[in-house]
Amino acid sequence: MEIFLMQLGSGLIIGSVYALVALGLNIIWSITDIPDFAQGSFYVIAAYAGYFAVTLAGVPFLVALLVGMCVGAAMSFSCERFLYRRWRERTFRGAARVQLLCAIALFFLFANAANAIWTSKAKIFPAYLKGSLLGFSYMRINVLLAAIILFVLVYLFIMKTKMGKAIRAASMDLGMAQVLGINIDTVNSIVFAMGGALSGAAAVLVSPLYSVFPTMGDLPLLKALVVVILGGFGSVAGILICGLGLGVAEAFGATYISSAYQHGFAFFVLILTLLLRPKGLFGRV
Amino acid sequence: MKHFRKVMLVITVMAMVLLGLNTPGFAAKGIKIGYTAPFTGSAAEFGVNGWRGIQLALEEINKKGVIVGGKKYTIEIKRYDSICTPTDGVANVRKLAMQDRVVAILGDHCSSVCVAIGPLCDEFKIPGITIECAADKVTKPGHEFYFRMRPSVGLMAPLITPTIVEKFKPKSAAFLVVNDDYGLGLASAIATELDKFGVKTVVDETFERGNTDFTVYLAKIKKAKVDILFYIGVTPEGAMILKQAKEFGVTERTVLIGSEEMGEMELVSLAGPEAAEGTYAVSLWGAVPADFAERVEDRFDAPMHYAVIFGYDALHVVARAIESAQSLDPVKIKDAMKKIDYEALEGRIKFENFEGYRNQCRFVPSLIQWKDGERVPLK
Amino acid sequence: MLSSTLSANRIALAIIFILLLVIPHIASSYIVYVVILAILFSMLTASYDLLTGYAGPLSFCHAAFYGLGAYTSALLTLKTGMSFWLALPISGMSVFLFAVVIGYPALKLRGHYFAVTTFFFGHFMYLVFLNTRELTGGPLGLGEIQPPESIFGIDFSGMTANYYLILIFGILMVGFLYALVNSGFGRLIVSIRENEDLAEAVGVNTAFFKVLAFSISAGLAGITGSLFAHFFRLLHPSTFSWMTSEMIVVMALVGGAGTLVGPIIGAGVVTFILEVMRFAPELRFVIWAILLIAILVIEPRGLAGIYARIRGGK
Repeated sequence: MEIFLMQLGSGLIIGSVYALVALGLNIIWSITDIPDFAQGSFYVIAAYAGYFAVTLAGVPFLVALLVGMCVGAAMSFSCERFLYRRWRERTFRGAARVQLLCAIALFFLFANAANAIWTSKAKIFPAYLKGSLLGFSYMRINVLLAAIILFVLVYLFIMKTKMGKAIRAASMDLGMAQVLGINIDTVNSIVFAMGGALSGAAAVLVSPLYSVFPTMGDLPLLKALVVVILGGFGSVAGILICGLGLGVAEAFGATYISSAYQHGFAFFVLILTLLLRPKGLFGRV
Repeated sequence: MKHFRKVMLVITVMAMVLLGLNTPGFAAKGIKIGYTAPFTGSAAEFGVNGWRGIQLALEEINKKGVIVGGKKYTIEIKRYDSICTPTDGVANVRKLAMQDRVVAILGDHCSSVCVAIGPLCDEFKIPGITIECAADKVTKPGHEFYFRMRPSVGLMAPLITPTIVEKFKPKSAAFLVVNDDYGLGLASAIATELDKFGVKTVVDETFERGNTDFTVYLAKIKKAKVDILFYIGVTPEGAMILKQAKEFGVTERTVLIGSEEMGEMELVSLAGPEAAEGTYAVSLWGAVPADFAERVEDRFDAPMHYAVIFGYDALHVVARAIESAQSLDPVKIKDAMKKIDYEALEGRIKFENFEGYRNQCRFVPSLIQWKDGERVPLK
Repeated sequence: MLSSTLSANRIALAIIFILLLVIPHIASSYIVYVVILAILFSMLTASYDLLTGYAGPLSFCHAAFYGLGAYTSALLTLKTGMSFWLALPISGMSVFLFAVVIGYPALKLRGHYFAVTTFFFGHFMYLVFLNTRELTGGPLGLGEIQPPESIFGIDFSGMTANYYLILIFGILMVGFLYALVNSGFGRLIVSIRENEDLAEAVGVNTAFFKVLAFSISAGLAGITGSLFAHFFRLLHPSTFSWMTSEMIVVMALVGGAGTLVGPIIGAGVVTFILEVMRFAPELRFVIWAILLIAILVIEPRGLAGIYARIRGGK
């Protein structure tokens, strides 16, 4: 029983990381049709930003978290503004492919740049909180708590604010939204900035647990992709549930079935879900 | 015909560059030695550290120069990234041999690459010396032109296991190893040896390189209440394992023994002295002169790592071989390498053929323990 | 104007063809090795283009099929002593059939869902290659694969013979694909890509044709895998990771998907750039990524688009 609870806890925590990155990815994807692979590299750079904020500038963790989120947001915003936007206007066949290719290239670019500048050696992010509860350090529990808080904030933003409504409208029907006078450029900018901020938050939250290194964005990105699909491009709550669910499924799979395939369980979860609900669990039909 | 000219121009340029890649390096003032290692990807830390060692050796060697036939030469290193994949490693070696015309090759660090380039060294008749591949088959049966200093997993296990059994008197063991040739090879070799002493392997887990979350595995290990846990990986992984093992209370019951990586200062700098306190690791090198460790710290602002030592020794071995052969002919250099016998940083370097191994040195690994952030050799 | 454009094209092709023919005799074995890898990647991107460029669905698992073909061929020859010449078509066929089986359910998914599923299928296959150590040797690799048995008195243990073998297969494959995309089948799958609902309404069995395109694409990748296995003679899971699949996607898209020649150029150019930049180990991928983005900014239709621009004299 102890193992079961431990794995449940671990799964929830790692799942919340997936969920955070997936949330940003999902919103971007629903509106622009781009699977923004680059988020994986914004994740990495934001983690380094947070690390340097703490070790060089000596700021408290919360500030480092904000720094990471800002860096993520700024990078994401810039990439949309100066790159992705170029190919939106074009009506030539394959604009979406170009954006995807650009996203992949950006991912390679920043991850390898981090490796070249700061070397592959992992940087240790100092612990900001000591002590633990039931075997889980407070920092670890914080990841889950912070994720939930951020999700609630995003939910409120999407549901209650005017911009949030605009975003929802754009994700449902882009053409109609434009006809209704919604400024797509603004929507895009906000959505990308949000995505970057969320990836950055996930990265900094997780850094004290696992340290900072150039390839740290690979796996979270992969898992976030799955979570988006599982959630069916649906609701904010759906993403959280799917993210947590995937984390837990992986933890249980690795414990009770096979640890070597820990990162392969996502595949089975994906297949099973799509077989039962082809549009994802919370997908709009 | 305007477009025709443009097309021709593009193609001609590309062809010229391609063939330009082909021209062999013209007579150099220096001696060229190649170095293939992973500098990107998840195994990048090996190449980075190996390169540091090579650079230190390079400075020393070039200060005096290498005297061959009365003339003084300096060494120039050509280094290429193998990303720890055999296809890139092979491309590197082919480029080094055919285009850069090196007289010797250092590398690689990953066994999968070493296995691929060993035969190439024979084919091109250029001696190669691996920095740290550990799989048995790199030198067993091995190749005439490929050398290894450190012991393979098959050599290490029977040498270190009796020490472990004697010291900890375990009844059960667990393995938590990285899913690559080194992790699997070493784990299986040690498990076999342990079995000879009646120690049963109860938990055997593998993880993918780059993994940071070990809670799943540690929970299983804790539940199994084993006496010793072997953990094999690179220092970031090891650091995470130590921290999480401490966090989840695994260290209370189980003795943690790490692979060579885990005996490096880098582990403590990543995990922190408290997490490492009291744990053990296998070590391939004894005490290193304090000033060497300082040089590494000062020069690179980074902690000591065994790849630094191996890289350093590897280049010195080649330089000695060149001077001893008094020739820049790779075949003669290879012959000279076979006759080398001296005390390097890591131990005595003498390449021998024994027990099916070829061009292999014999080191006896030992155990170290972490106390107050310092590595204390045992025995 | 038109005829001189066409002849410019033909002359360019002829020059490239002649270069490819004589390279083993004028260049070092290093260059020949790199060109072989480029040809193999061209075969991968060309077969990939059949699916993603022409039929439409974006897939991220091409390297998995490459790996399946490679391991199948290697194991057939190693464990059963089968001849390479038999193992090659059998591997291709096995991968084709495998793709049919997984293709039917998979292709029911549309767009994004399909893409991510293939991504994870690819990663899953990599884990299978890594973990079924008894069969594949896992991370220790599968070695001692034999070169193709000699036929017509040609010995295939050397680089040159392998080069021509792979070149011939490459030309055959591209020729086959060219004929295929210009045939009725080709036009049909393009029409499915453009408007699947319309095609269905007209009575086309879209599922069948999509699966067929998917499977042919996979089978060709399998054949390429077999060629690689007996050329490199050492198989390691890292060669077939999701990074490789991503690389294939990048090469195909930057070349210009849906043109067949575009992806081939993409494969050649990307391989070339990465090779040339070997002297900068840490910055290699950074510079390459920047170049990629620069190409996209200059000409979103990719390299095929740039070539068209040069031809058009813009």
